[in-house]
Amino acid sequence: MKKIKLSQDLEYIFSLALSIVLALIIGALIILANGKSPLTAYASLINGSLGSPYKMATTLAKTVPLILTGLATAVAFSSGIFNIGGEGQLYLGAFAAAYVGFTFTNLPGLIGIPLALIFAALAGGFYALIPALLKVKYGIDEVITTIMFNSIAILFTGYLANYPFASSVGKMGATEMIAPAYKLLRLVARSKLHTGIFFTAVIALAIYYLMEKTSVGYDFKMIGTNLIFAKYGGINAERNMVIAMIISGVLCGIAGAFEVLGNHYRFLQAISPGYAFDGMLVSLIVKNKVVGVILMSIFFGILKTGSIAMEFETAIPSELVLVIQAIIILFIAGEKGFAQILRRIHAKEGVRGDV
Amino acid sequence: MQESIIKLVGISKVFPGVVANDNINLEIRRGEIHAIVGENGAGKSTLMKIIYGLYQPTAGEIYINGRLMNVANPQIAIKNGIGMVHQHFMLVPSFTAAENVVLGSEPRKNTVFMDFEEAVIITKALSEKYGLYVDPYQKVEDLSVGIQQRIEILKVLYRGADILILDEPTAVLTPQETQELFAIMRRLVKDMGKTIIIITHKLQEVLEVSHRVSVMRRGKLVGTMDTKDATEQILAEMMVGKEVVFDKFHANQNKGKTLMEVKNLVVRDNRGFIAVDGISFSVAAGEILGVAGVEGNGQTELVEALTGLRKVEEGSILVNGKDMANRSPSEFRKMGISHIPEDRLKTGLAPEASVNENLLMGYQHKKPYESFGMKLNKKAIYQKTAQLIKQFDIRTPSGQTKVKSLSGGNMQKLVVAREFSFNSPILIISQPTRGLDIGAIEFIHRQIIEMRDAGRAILLISADLDEIFRLSDRIVTIYEGKLTGEFMTADVTKQAIGLYMTGKNLSTAG
Repeated sequence: MKKIKLSQDLEYIFSLALSIVLALIIGALIILANGKSPLTAYASLINGSLGSPYKMATTLAKTVPLILTGLATAVAFSSGIFNIGGEGQLYLGAFAAAYVGFTFTNLPGLIGIPLALIFAALAGGFYALIPALLKVKYGIDEVITTIMFNSIAILFTGYLANYPFASSVGKMGATEMIAPAYKLLRLVARSKLHTGIFFTAVIALAIYYLMEKTSVGYDFKMIGTNLIFAKYGGINAERNMVIAMIISGVLCGIAGAFEVLGNHYRFLQAISPGYAFDGMLVSLIVKNKVVGVILMSIFFGILKTGSIAMEFETAIPSELVLVIQAIIILFIAGEKGFAQILRRIHAKEGVRGDV
Repeated sequence: MQESIIKLVGISKVFPGVVANDNINLEIRRGEIHAIVGENGAGKSTLMKIIYGLYQPTAGEIYINGRLMNVANPQIAIKNGIGMVHQHFMLVPSFTAAENVVLGSEPRKNTVFMDFEEAVIITKALSEKYGLYVDPYQKVEDLSVGIQQRIEILKVLYRGADILILDEPTAVLTPQETQELFAIMRRLVKDMGKTIIIITHKLQEVLEVSHRVSVMRRGKLVGTMDTKDATEQILAEMMVGKEVVFDKFHANQNKGKTLMEVKNLVVRDNRGFIAVDGISFSVAAGEILGVAGVEGNGQTELVEALTGLRKVEEGSILVNGKDMANRSPSEFRKMGISHIPEDRLKTGLAPEASVNENLLMGYQHKKPYESFGMKLNKKAIYQKTAQLIKQFDIRTPSGQTKVKSLSGGNMQKLVVAREFSFNSPILIISQPTRGLDIGAIEFIHRQIIEMRDAGRAILLISADLDEIFRLSDRIVTIYEGKLTGEFMTADVTKQAIGLYMTGKNLSTAG
């Protein structure tokens, strides 16, 4: 009998699905332990996130920063350079966009919005460039530097929002509002879903094209999978790592810009609840695959939005969703184990088939 | 002295595609230093790992102290008094010497906490008892390699080993440290009644320190003899063998002009020591220059310097009259140098990537595979990879298969296919058939000869003398970073080369 060999990707998708199912089951047990019905809870979670156009829009709005920061992680990590500084890049990008928005107030939206995005991209990209250069020139570990750069950027923009650029209303940790022309159009009434989602889709397509269909993406991936092989094959690893890092920073900067232009309309000193870290989780779970980042971001968006409805309807704390996310991550860390179990089951079936 | 402490009967070990040990019968006597010598890939380490329980033999029996044993894992080996000091030390750098010695079976306070003081006392007592002096408080990361090795030996002794297996213990030592180690070994055997098995391929060391010596070759035990009856000549002959396994190829007909010339090259290894010490040679179109040598004598560093992967300290690498020293790998490639690296998994391939992706390396920025500066053209790429897969007979379910699931022979064919497909005038080929089965070896050898006949200049580095003799037109021997001799293949015997590459004629050669 010919032995069926599972492709590695299929194995991974299986492990991932299993992880999610197991996490949901454990979540259900926790709900049960609290004397509530898991079915009702999950039903309200699904209903709360997908039950109406408004709810779907809210879910999608939550996915925008996740997709962007997730893609940022995917590009960097699959190129073998570890950008943990997405949060800092996002803050700088957000501030840069806000700065354009409350300074050049006379520009029409058609010019102003792209300008704000460009400033945000430049700020994020430049901020990512520094640790990248430190890495390739002096061998300074980018994981450490980017983590530290987060604090610098968050505190620095916090200072800017409280002092030099504080809102005229008072020191409340926010800048002036951006000019109305900069505000991105809301797509569904009352929801925060803005036209940035289209731009995000275009970016996602572009990143997919870059990573999967171009020689640049090929070089990136070869560096990420085997640095020695990439160098041996003549790829300029240093230059490519720097480029990947810049792209990553640019994406985080744009994520920050959308928070300002589409969501808050001003810079806030705590504008991100850790989007870049969520994005990093999303990307790590799907092994830095572009398509996976998008799907997993939507899944996380559903959990996030739905959890609030769940809390409202069933009094189960929305933090349960964090537990479920954490369990998925724990399980996916054991993915190799799942794959092995799967292989063993297959081997047994093979033997039985022979008899 | 005559009592046997370990007896192996008919031990065989088969890995997929490779017979590492073939029906080995070996007896180790109590209280002797038994040397096991052989070329790389002769199966010495595999055999030792079987004794230590790291591998299970495919066939055969192991007797320890006269009792038939199933050494299923190292714990069983340790319980039976067998200890192994690996070639690559297994110490925790940030721990002290004492902590490393007791690691794994620490003395405890109140059954929970490690008793550091007791560890120090144990280490002191052991090191005095055996004359292996170390400072128990020093961190391993601050200690020299020689001292680290002592800690490894102490670790083994702490676990109560009567039989010590030392896997190429001198490979990392300076000559002085080697002498110290030998003194320790003699003391352990003479005064403490221990038994030592030492794996090495340095023949002088064998003659100096061992009582008996066994020679392995291509997985078989060629013979065992008392060291006093052995000479380097005899051992070298046993090691490299006399029979020619393969058909000879016809010699090269048309040697062309010199394509690569290396002058007084000096290169350091990762630790900063001089690994290539003033090497000069040249390679002409249509010839294969073989570099014969035991591994670890500077070949790795030489090849890396010649392909841009390692810094050159001094000297020049002239390619078409242009000095390429310290250029980047991509510049070397642009100058028409292809490279089959010694470690295909680490350097030559991306095991996690697909066959197609691995074949694409080097083509991704070339037309017609790329257009508009970055767009990859799937059609052209797949055509090329399909053609290479067919031409080089790479057995793979598809081009999308991950390389790590291929067999060693097919991985190597992939590397060869890619590197030969560039039509580079200069080929640097390192250990091209290591670990491969006969079919794959034959295939790759034929490809190399075809390249030579097509007028390429080929530098062949191999630890396998048969391979060197079969393919090379000219041979240089390398020992401790220096070239110790140069010969036309037709005018020299394997035995002579065997002596040159083990350092025998160092003083008389340039």
